[in-house]
Amino acid sequence: MADFSLLHRAALAGAKSGSFGPTQADGGITLEALPEGHVLQVLASPDAGDLAASIASVSDGSVYAVRAVGPGQWFVVGDAGLSASEFAKTQAALSGRASIADQTHGRIRIGISGAGGEAVLAKGTAVDMHPDQFPVGRSTMTLIGHITAMITRTAADRFEILVLRGFAESLWDELIEMGLEFGVDARTAP
Amino acid sequence: MASLIACPHCGPRPKEEFTVRGDAGINRPAPDAGKDAWYAYVYLRDNPRGRHKEHWHHTSGCRRWLVVERDTMTHAVYSAVDAAVTGETV
Repeated sequence: MADFSLLHRAALAGAKSGSFGPTQADGGITLEALPEGHVLQVLASPDAGDLAASIASVSDGSVYAVRAVGPGQWFVVGDAGLSASEFAKTQAALSGRASIADQTHGRIRIGISGAGGEAVLAKGTAVDMHPDQFPVGRSTMTLIGHITAMITRTAADRFEILVLRGFAESLWDELIEMGLEFGVDARTAP
Repeated sequence: MASLIACPHCGPRPKEEFTVRGDAGINRPAPDAGKDAWYAYVYLRDNPRGRHKEHWHHTSGCRRWLVVERDTMTHAVYSAVDAAVTGETV
């Protein structure tokens, strides 16, 4: 245990917020700093076999909690914080088959919603964001501008971005700029 | 240089997402292989014109090492497979 309690500061607490660009009838783009609940990185053992069902069991059960990064790698995200004992339970659940690293402090989730969300992201990444190629539920790690981030589509017009904490504010500013033509409502308070 | 690499895990991605290591056909010599073999392993590289297999790391994607076969003259990419696939690197 730590000798003193750490003070939690939201990564985007001091970032730009409010309305940017023209006001649109359809509401434009909404950027949200999502709750810094938990982010777990799961790395499968080489001989672990198919872990998909087991990994869902360490998530909070929400629909897009488990996000595949690549072969044998996942992020498990959720809105609620995990206590040390809850985290130990997740490790025990996959013991011997996968290792789990707590990345809650390291990665930040940003929500981007609105009809223009696809077009905004397409300005920064080479991934084809068309629903045929990137359907709801799909996740992928890619570059947005020069920043590595994970994009997940959670609804037809809603995406979540998982980005390293240190890059979060920089990406936030870039998303505001890329969304200007649609009008951006930036909400930093989770 | 080839600009779109079809990552077997992520799909087509721009070269900016990758880090190129170099020739995939070079094998580490035995520890006692002698000075010449080690000198060649560390320093000597061919500069082929045409088809060439290289190790590419998908740094800003799935973070897997790939073996990419491309043409150094036309920039055409013939294949990109995970380096862990048996037989890709000896």
